[in-house]
Amino acid sequence: MKKVVVIDDEPFILMMIEDKLRNARIDVVTLRSSVNAVEVIRKEKPGLVILDWMMPEISGIEVCRALKQDSETADIPIFMLTAKGQDADEQLGLRSGVARYITKPFSPRALLEMVQEVIGSDEQ
Amino acid sequence: MRIIYKHIFGFLFFAFLVVAPLTLTVVRHVGTFIAAEEAGRSVDTSDYARAYRQIASKIGEEAALYGFYVFVLALIMAIFFSKGTLISLKGLRKGSQSVKDGDLDFVLPVTSHDELGDVTKAFNEMTAALREKTLELKKKDLYVDAMLDPLWVVDGGNKIVDVNPAFTRLVGHARDEVIGSSIYDFFDDYNEAVMRRLPDKEKDGGTSPVYETTVRSKDGSRIPVLVSGSTLYSGEKIVGHMGILKDFSEQEDLRSKLQSAKEYVETIMDSIEDYILVIDKEYRIIKANKTALMKASGPVIGEFCHVFSHDQAKPCWSQGHECPAQTVFMTGKNYRTTHQHIGAAGEKRFHEIVASPIKDPSGNVLHVIELIRDVTERMMHEEEIFNKNSELVALNSVSGILSRSLRPDEIFTKVLDKLIDMLKMEGGGIFFIDESGKEMVCQYHRGISEEYVKVMGRIKVGEDVPGKVAAIGQVITSPDVSKDHSIDKSFIKHSGIKGYCCIPIRGKERIIGVFSLFSFRTHHFTAEEENILTSVGEMTGMAIENIKLYEKMRGLYEYQAKQREMEQAQILSISSKLGSAIELKDVLKPVLEVIKSTFGADFAWLLVSDHEGNLAEKSASALIKHEGDIVYTNAVSSIEGYSAGRKTPTVIQDIRGDSKFYLAPVIAGQSYQSVIAVPMYIGEKNVGVYSLYYLGGRVFKEEELHFLRIIANILAVSIERSDYYAKAIAEKGLSDTILQGVADGIITVDGSGRIISVNKAFEKITGVPANEAVGLPICDVFRFSEENSDFRLSLGECFESALEGERGNREAVMSTISGGKISVLIDSAPVFDADGGVTGVVNLVRDVSREKEIDRMKTEIIRSVSHEFRTPLSAIVGMTEMILEGDIDDNRAKKYLSTILSEGIRLSNMVSDLLSIARIESGKETVKYKKIVVRDLLSELSESFSSLVEKKRAEIRFDVEEAAYVVADEEKMKQLLTNLVDNSLMFSDDGCIVEITVRDKREGLEINVSDNGWGIPDEDMPHLTERFYRGRHGQKIKGTGLGLYICREIVAMHGGDMHIESRPGAGTRVFLSLPHREAP
Repeated sequence: MKKVVVIDDEPFILMMIEDKLRNARIDVVTLRSSVNAVEVIRKEKPGLVILDWMMPEISGIEVCRALKQDSETADIPIFMLTAKGQDADEQLGLRSGVARYITKPFSPRALLEMVQEVIGSDEQ
Repeated sequence: MRIIYKHIFGFLFFAFLVVAPLTLTVVRHVGTFIAAEEAGRSVDTSDYARAYRQIASKIGEEAALYGFYVFVLALIMAIFFSKGTLISLKGLRKGSQSVKDGDLDFVLPVTSHDELGDVTKAFNEMTAALREKTLELKKKDLYVDAMLDPLWVVDGGNKIVDVNPAFTRLVGHARDEVIGSSIYDFFDDYNEAVMRRLPDKEKDGGTSPVYETTVRSKDGSRIPVLVSGSTLYSGEKIVGHMGILKDFSEQEDLRSKLQSAKEYVETIMDSIEDYILVIDKEYRIIKANKTALMKASGPVIGEFCHVFSHDQAKPCWSQGHECPAQTVFMTGKNYRTTHQHIGAAGEKRFHEIVASPIKDPSGNVLHVIELIRDVTERMMHEEEIFNKNSELVALNSVSGILSRSLRPDEIFTKVLDKLIDMLKMEGGGIFFIDESGKEMVCQYHRGISEEYVKVMGRIKVGEDVPGKVAAIGQVITSPDVSKDHSIDKSFIKHSGIKGYCCIPIRGKERIIGVFSLFSFRTHHFTAEEENILTSVGEMTGMAIENIKLYEKMRGLYEYQAKQREMEQAQILSISSKLGSAIELKDVLKPVLEVIKSTFGADFAWLLVSDHEGNLAEKSASALIKHEGDIVYTNAVSSIEGYSAGRKTPTVIQDIRGDSKFYLAPVIAGQSYQSVIAVPMYIGEKNVGVYSLYYLGGRVFKEEELHFLRIIANILAVSIERSDYYAKAIAEKGLSDTILQGVADGIITVDGSGRIISVNKAFEKITGVPANEAVGLPICDVFRFSEENSDFRLSLGECFESALEGERGNREAVMSTISGGKISVLIDSAPVFDADGGVTGVVNLVRDVSREKEIDRMKTEIIRSVSHEFRTPLSAIVGMTEMILEGDIDDNRAKKYLSTILSEGIRLSNMVSDLLSIARIESGKETVKYKKIVVRDLLSELSESFSSLVEKKRAEIRFDVEEAAYVVADEEKMKQLLTNLVDNSLMFSDDGCIVEITVRDKREGLEINVSDNGWGIPDEDMPHLTERFYRGRHGQKIKGTGLGLYICREIVAMHGGDMHIESRPGAGTRVFLSLPHREAP
C-alpha cells in the first residue's frame, strides 16, 4: 500500500486528512513541521506528498522545490494545500512542480479521490 | 689585244695546227718507212713510189681528218674571236641608228681594248658631244618658248619662219597658222607702214629702237604692244629678222587711268575754295589750284610760298614765325595751325593751314601740300559766342549766389562783387530805399572810401542817378559821366568816374534798392550788358522778396512748432498720469483741471456711460452733489449725449438759447454760456463724454479740437482700462479665495516652470511656505528631500505634458518637509492664452494617502478574508463533511466537533476584528463602560484560546489580583486580551508559556501579557500597531495583522496606554494600563 506524506502546521488539518485517507486504507505520515520534511520524504518514499503552503520556517513552495531538485524525490507527485486563491499563485504552484493545487476549504472526499487517482491504481 | 695581233696569233695557231700534225704524220710515216727499210726490207723505187703514195695517202687521209678537225676548230675559233668584234660592231650600228633617231643618251659599252674598243669610245664621245650641243640648243629653244614676250623670226621676205608660244598666245593664232604668213598681217595699215620703215633703219645693224604700236589678234581686237627687233646675219648676209613684242595693254590701261586720275584731282583741286599749294624743298610753289592762282596778283608757280601767303620776301621761319611747311619738312607728319595776318584793309584775318607731306618711296618728304582756309569770320563768331557765354556764366553765377544764400547781406555783397567783376568796373555800391520810400541809403559798397559814402550815401529818391533809377525803375548807363550831358546834377560828375551805371533792384511790387557801378575808364555798355544788368537787378529783387517770405514762414512754423510742443508735453503728462494711476478717480480730477486751465474753461466734468446709455458723473472740476450718480439718463437729450451721438467734439455757443437740450441742475444752476462736449470712444463703443463750460463764448481753433480729441482717446482708454482692472481685481479676489479654500495643493507655474503662486493647501501638504516657493522652478521646491527625486520626475512629466497642451496626471509618493511620506496624485492642466498657446500650467497635488490607505485596507481585508478565513473554514467544512459521511468514529467525531467550535470562534473573532476596524475607521466606535471583574473576563476567554493552546501545547498562566476590576467596554476588553494572547501564542514555539498579569494600581489597571516566544525583531517594532502589519514572520504566520492596532485603539479609546517590549529570542511583553473611571 502506498504512502502519503502530509505536511501542515495546522493539527486539525492533519487529523482530518489522516482520518480520511486511513479510512481508505492509505498509509499516511503526517508532519507538523516542514523543517526536515525532505529527509522524511526521502526516507518514507511516499507515492504522494500533500503540502500546505503557508507554514512557518519553510513554506510549502520551498519544500516542493527542494523535493523536485532532489533526484530521489523528484518523481513524487505533490499536492499543494493553501488558502491562497489567486491564479497567479496557482501558476506559481504548478510551475514549481505541483501536480495539483487545492484550495482551502476543501472537501476531504474530493481530496481522497484525487489521492486515489495518483496512487490508488497500483496496488503493489 | 689589238686586232692585228689577234689575227697574227690566229694565223700562227692555225698554221701550227695544220703543220704540226702534218709534219708529225709525215715524219711518222717516213719513219715507219725508214724503219721498215732499215729492217731490211727492200725498198724499191716503186716502193718509194708506193711508199710515197702510201705515205701520201695516209697523209692525205690523216690530213683530211686533221683538216676536218682543224676546220671545225678554226670555225669555232673564228666564231669565238669574231663574236667580240661582232658585238661591238652591232653596238656601233645600234648606236648610230639611235643617234639618227635622235636618242643621244645612248652609251655603248666598251668591251674590248682594241681598235673596236677605241671606235666605240670615240662613238660614245661623239654622241656625248652631240648631246651637249643638242641640249644647249634645246635650252635656247626653252628660253625662247618660255619667254613671255612674243617673238617671231622672219626670213628675208618677211615671212614668218618661227614664233614662240607667247606669240601664238598673243595673237590667238596657232603656230601652224602663223608659220609662213607675213608678219605684216598682224599689223594694221598704219602700223604696217611704221613696221616696214624699221628694216630700213636697221641698216646700221644691231637692234632697232622700241616703238609703240598695236597688233591685230585673231578675234579682231587690237592689242597695244611695244615692238623691238634685230636683224639676223649669217656672215655678211642678212638671213632674216627677229622681232619681240611687249604686251603693253596693261601699261596702256594704267597710263590712261593715271591720266584720268590726274585730271580728276586737278578738277577737285580747282573746285576747292581754299588755296591749295604744293611747295617744294626750296619753298617754291610748284603747283597751285585755281583759287590760289586767281587770288594772286602776280605769278604763283615758282614763287616763294611766303611771298604768296604773307607778302613776305623772306621765309616766315627765318623771322621767327612758325612755318607749317618747314614743320612738315622736318617732322614728315601732318601739321595743322591757325595764322593771323593783317589783311589789305588793315583788318585782322585768320587763316587755318593744314600741311601734309608728299613722300617718296623711301619716306623722305619731297613736297608739302598746304591747304589754306580763311577762317576770319568763324573766329569772329567764336569770339562773339565766347563773350556771350561769359555773360551767361556771369548771370548763372549770380543766380547761383542768389539761390544759395538766405542772408541778404551775403547776397548783396556777393552780387555787387560779381557785377563789378563782370563788367570790369572799379567799384560800386548798393542803395536801399527805406520804408517811407522817399530816401535811399548806401549800405554796401566797394572801392569807395568811407568818407565818401558818408557824404554820398544818403540821397532822395529821384535825386541823382541812383535816385532817378529808383524812381523810374530803369537801368541808366553812361560810358563817360564826365562827358555825358544827359547826366547832370550828379555828385560823381567831377569825381573822375567815367564809366557808370545804376541798376534797379526790383521786388515784387516796388523797387527795393539800386546797384550802382563805376569805373575810372570809359566803358561802353553794350546792349547785352544792359540786359544782364537788368536781369541781375530783377533776380536780386526776387531773391530778397523770397528771403522775406521765407523768414515769415519760418516764424510761423516756429510758432506752430512751439504750440505743438506744448500740446505734446501736456498730452504726455496727462497720459502718464492716467497711465500710472490705478485708481482712476484720483487721477481724473487733476487731469480735468489741466484741461480746464489749458482751455480757459470755467467748469469741466467727465461723464461715463453705462451699457444702457446713461451718463453718470465720474469726475468734475468743482465739487458737485451726488458724485457718481447718473446725471443724464438715456431718455434725456443732453449736450453730452448729443455729442456722443455725433462722435465728434461739439461746440454749443449758447446753451440756453437752444431749448432742445436738457441741462443738469449743476449746469443749469450756473450761468454758463458756451460748452464743448468731447465724446470718448474706443472703437465703436462710447465710454463717456467730457465737457468744458464757459461763462462767455468760446471759439475753438482746429488745432485745439485736435488736441481735445487726443485727450478724449487717452481718457477713453484709461477709463476702459480701469474698468477692466477693477473687474480683474474682483475676479482675482474670487479666484484667490477659491484657490486658498481648496483642499488640494495647487501650484501655478508660468511657461518656463517657475512658480507663480501656491495655495495654503500646498503649504500644508508639503510643509513648504508659500513665500519660499514662489519664483522657484517647480521641481526645485521639492528638493528638500532626496527621496523626492522620483516624485520630482513624475511632477516634471505631468508639467511637460501640460506644456504641450495635454493634461498630465501621475501617482507618486512625496516626502514632506517633515519627513513624512504621502501618496499623492499629480494633475497638471495647461493654461491657454487667447491664441491657444500655453502660457502656464496649474498643477494639482492631492494627498491621496487616505484613499491609498483605504485601498490598502480594502486589499488587506480581502486578503485577510480570503486567506485567514479559509483555514478555520477548512476545518469546519472538512470535518463536518467527514462526520456526515461517517468516516470517523464517535470519539473522533467529538474531537472534530470541538475543533469546529473553536475554529468557528476564531473566525468569529476575526470578523469582530474587522468590524472593529470598520467602526474605528468610520469614527463610529462607541465605548460602553461597565464594571468588569478581570478574573471572570479571563476565565471566559480561556475557552476561546483552547484550540490554539492545545495546538501549541502551550500554557497560559494567570496572575490576577482578586478584586481587580476595570470600568471598560466588555466586548472590547475581550477583544483586546484575546488579541494579545493570540499573538503570544502564534509567535511562539510549541510549549510556550503565556503569562497574564493584572495589577490594580491607584491610577488604573495594569495588565501585562508576556510570552517566551520568538520575540519581535527590531525592524518590526515601530510598525507593530500599524494596521495589517504582519512583520517578518507575517508571511508564515496566519493572522490579519490587525490585532495590535485594535488593541492600541481600544486602549486609546479607554484613555489608556500600551507599550510593547520585546527582544528576538527573548519573548515579548505587552504592558497595558487602563485608567480608573466611574462606572455609569
